Amino acid sequence: MSDIELSDIVRNLLGGAAWTLGLSLTAFVLGGLAGLAVLFARIARNPLPRRLAQAYIEVFQGTPLLMQLFIIFFGSSLIGLEIPPWLAAALGLTLFTSAYLGEIWRGCVEAIPKGQWEASASLAMSHVEQMRHVILPQALRIAIAPTVGFSVQVVKGTAVTSIIGFVELTKTGSMLANATFQPFLVFGLVALGYFALCYPLSAYSRMLERKIHGSRAH
Amino acid sequence: MALVRIEALHKHFGSNHVLRGIDLDIEEGQVIALIGRSGSGKSTLLRTINGLESFDDGSIEVDGEHIRPQGTDLRALRMKVGMIFQQFNLFPHLTAGQNVMLATRIVRKMGDDAARDLAKSMLLKVGLQEKFDAYPDQLSGGQQQRVAIARALAMQPRVLLCDEITSALDPELVNEVLAVVKNLAAEGMTLIMVTHEMRFAREVGDKLVFMYQGRIHESGDPQTLFANPQTPELAGFIGSIN
Amino acid sequence: MAYAFDFSAVLEYREALLAGTGRTLMLTGIGAVAGLVLGTAGAVSRAWRLAPFDRIFAVYVELIRNTPFLVQLFFIFFGLPSLGVQMDEWQAAILAVVINLGAYSTEIIRAGIEATPRGQIEAAQSLAMTRRQIFFHVVLPPALAKVWPAICSQVVIVMLGTSVCSQIAAEELTFAANFIQSRNFRAFETYFVVTAMYFLLAVGVRQVLALTGQRLLGRRSK
Repeated sequence: MSDIELSDIVRNLLGGAAWTLGLSLTAFVLGGLAGLAVLFARIARNPLPRRLAQAYIEVFQGTPLLMQLFIIFFGSSLIGLEIPPWLAAALGLTLFTSAYLGEIWRGCVEAIPKGQWEASASLAMSHVEQMRHVILPQALRIAIAPTVGFSVQVVKGTAVTSIIGFVELTKTGSMLANATFQPFLVFGLVALGYFALCYPLSAYSRMLERKIHGSRAH
Repeated sequence: MALVRIEALHKHFGSNHVLRGIDLDIEEGQVIALIGRSGSGKSTLLRTINGLESFDDGSIEVDGEHIRPQGTDLRALRMKVGMIFQQFNLFPHLTAGQNVMLATRIVRKMGDDAARDLAKSMLLKVGLQEKFDAYPDQLSGGQQQRVAIARALAMQPRVLLCDEITSALDPELVNEVLAVVKNLAAEGMTLIMVTHEMRFAREVGDKLVFMYQGRIHESGDPQTLFANPQTPELAGFIGSIN
Repeated sequence: MAYAFDFSAVLEYREALLAGTGRTLMLTGIGAVAGLVLGTAGAVSRAWRLAPFDRIFAVYVELIRNTPFLVQLFFIFFGLPSLGVQMDEWQAAILAVVINLGAYSTEIIRAGIEATPRGQIEAAQSLAMTRRQIFFHVVLPPALAKVWPAICSQVVIVMLGTSVCSQIAAEELTFAANFIQSRNFRAFETYFVVTAMYFLLAVGVRQVLALTGQRLLGRRSK
């Protein structure tokens, strides 16, 4: 047996969890901003941005996150940029998040009944006015629950960045498991750490969902 | 000069020729009742008049605004043509008052106070002045439809299009909506209505237009046509309704 | 830019790529079938409130959905042996995929079951059908048909997720990529080609699943 105490393990894992949390927040915020751009391109009336956004979404949803990270990591070194793992991780997860959120939000915009478009058009509103005053306020309401729900996928996605060498919760766990020869305990604690981060988000998302379905539409 | 002039209008949905040469003149203050079976093209015709549907050939002119198969100034047109829908289509995130105010503020660029006063008077006109702050889902179907009428009227349109506006209502709520429309007709509003309310069409309509297979099959004074249909198709249609 | 792309250095290893593709598909296929069976059992337990299974499945679903697949895989492969449960990398990978997909499909199928209109059940009851008959003939088929698109998406997500099984040395497609780039020193080209292969696999698997859904569940699934 090793002489590393349980308290040491926990302290190290908490340090790793902080990096997991930091990366999740970064990716979620930046990915959300980029996701807005993806959304507006995806619902543009001009077919060119629409197709580009669709291709962007399909590529990120149709390939493994791990491959996306590898390509960013090795691709950047090809163009002469040696980027550290944390930057590749943040960049990769941001792009990944933007594609998913853009698509989730498009679904919310398209869930607004056609009658809302027709009624606002009949009141002589322009496309931008329809979006701004009628469609987006309603889409925003229904977008909150799935957006919070997706944040769970972002947190879990950060685990994959351990493979390109970013030392977050999973990577910390792997190193500790090797050092302590207690993989059952360590990976159990790692799983618990993710659960503690993700479960409140899942539960909150479910609560929001129920609230929307159970209540009035405003 | 007719307020609305429709000439040689044609429209296809894919291979389906839904409007096959429509000619129709509507004078200011007239109440037109468009009737016919589902699929006869009456709703499509109505929706071409404010540009919700495009068309392939022919022309529509509303109060000097030309609608062409391509490149119409829809904003100018829609300032003059209001529309009321079967499903009300109130904006669920806005109160009744805000529903009425929205377009007057952002499209007609009225100030907040003026828009509010106008919205209040429009809601008063449809008998819902006390529902200014109610959200659509706190209103009955009939009340929602009356708010939708107030919302359209606040834009001060020259013509009001009504697309089966009582079809989604419970029977006991139909009359409160029809009463509002009847008042509008009495005030001289030009109305084009697709309707299944034959008694209402006969009482309030100035002109009955019977559509059949994408054409105007028969049209004229409602009383006369109901009493004396000239074609077997209209006779059959009236028979099937009653 | 001085770098000259060389994709032929990747294609030299096409046998390794094909073998990896085959194993990725095998992992996905076994995982999908067993995961859906597990998910259906879970959904039934949850929807019918079969104590104590409904509780067990509820906890299981939450645990799996709120932890990363990679950690589940590590826990199974590295952690379980210390309890005396020995398994090779493929057994661990398959178990992890089945457990993961089982949790997601429990929730997906349960949602489909709970969306059954009341009138359907009442109609079946008034035809004197038993609870079991009602479930298997009236409730389950349309429920599966309704949620089939969500199941297809989840299977594709799981397939893409198996990419991390390379980390326990299961020789699937990503493992092949790692191996190839360690031999040809063409990391970017190798990962680019393999990413494209995953993309095609995702498209293909989606098609196959959609067709399977049509066959098994009738026209209602898209």
